[in-house]
Amino acid sequence: MKLSKAVLGAIVVGLTVQNTPETVP
Amino acid sequence: MQATPTLCSALACNLDVDILSAALPLLAEGRVEALEWSFDALFWAGQIPDWFSELLRTYSASGRLLGHGVFFSLLSGRWSREQQQWLTQLRQLANQLPFAHITEHFGFFTGQNFHSGAPLPVPYTPVTLRLGQDRLSRLYEACQCPVGLENLAFAYALEEVKRHGEFLDKLLEPVNGFLILDLHNLYCQLHNFSISYEDLIDLYPLHRVREIHISGGSWEASALAPGQRVRRDTHDQGVPEEVFQLLQRTMPRCPHLRFVVLEQLGNSLRTEDSRARFRLDFGRMEALVQEHRAGLTASADQAFLPLRPPQPGPALEEPALHEQQQHLSRILETAPSVAEARQLLLASPLLASTDWNIEQWAPHMLETAVRIAQKWK
Repeated sequence: MKLSKAVLGAIVVGLTVQNTPETVP
Repeated sequence: MQATPTLCSALACNLDVDILSAALPLLAEGRVEALEWSFDALFWAGQIPDWFSELLRTYSASGRLLGHGVFFSLLSGRWSREQQQWLTQLRQLANQLPFAHITEHFGFFTGQNFHSGAPLPVPYTPVTLRLGQDRLSRLYEACQCPVGLENLAFAYALEEVKRHGEFLDKLLEPVNGFLILDLHNLYCQLHNFSISYEDLIDLYPLHRVREIHISGGSWEASALAPGQRVRRDTHDQGVPEEVFQLLQRTMPRCPHLRFVVLEQLGNSLRTEDSRARFRLDFGRMEALVQEHRAGLTASADQAFLPLRPPQPGPALEEPALHEQQQHLSRILETAPSVAEARQLLLASPLLASTDWNIEQWAPHMLETAVRIAQKWK
């Protein structure tokens, strides 16, 4: 599924700034 | 909105930097046709960041966001305040972010805390059937979309393995629910109980399969039988060759299959090598899905919605079952050895000579249950 450049860019920024289960800006 | 393929290659993708880093090239190439999200992992974590919400909203708007619950503990004998809160949060979330469907795991959690422990099976009895049907009707009432259950990897005995599919079918029948057939879980059972694929696969309600999971796992040596290994569903390795073969053999048997999902835990995706292997696994799954999709003929879609809306009354509780579950959990979590766990179980007036059939439990699987319970207590 094609994602917009805005969505992909936001993920890249989120990961750049930067840790789910057989227990906190 | 982009048209949804009849059968989607999907990823289990949570708010986890390692999973997202491994998946980013696949997302950028537009190859991830649906997204599965363990929504309840964030029920205790406060706000979801905007950039992740936007990713979820994009898939939701195309009808391709799958919700996969982890912590509901469907077959706990007691109805807890936390379970009620879990449903309330799911209802709010599903209003904001429509899901294509919602799924949960079979079993009850061993831990004392609501969101800790590991899911273990229960006896297949009229009591547990009524309880599970009650919980599934509440799940549907909260999310108002198709609901499904995943087959469990762990079992105590071969007879239980053979009856798992039939019991899942009965649980799902009142809500007209569907099955997630986890093929790595099936692989665990084939190995751990020395049963053939041909003998096991048709014991599952394949007409209810809407989703298939593939993943990796690990081997654990049994201290009870030198040379014997137990297959564990740990999701911390790439997909083994045998599971790809199971996928190829199983897809044609599932007329209502819509999603095939690759799962791997983020903590096993911290090196570039592991991330490259993850993407290769996705590519191989994608190729098998496309090959199968090319041969599909148009068939009537199965909505997997209740024929009559369930109207759950007060939550069903089974105090005797709850007491048995608590007692079993305590033994598994605290026994200093497998032999001692077995002695305690056989001496227990709550569990011995009951539907739990502890007398028939395979020693290497009791050993595994002790390890799982003590790992996650």
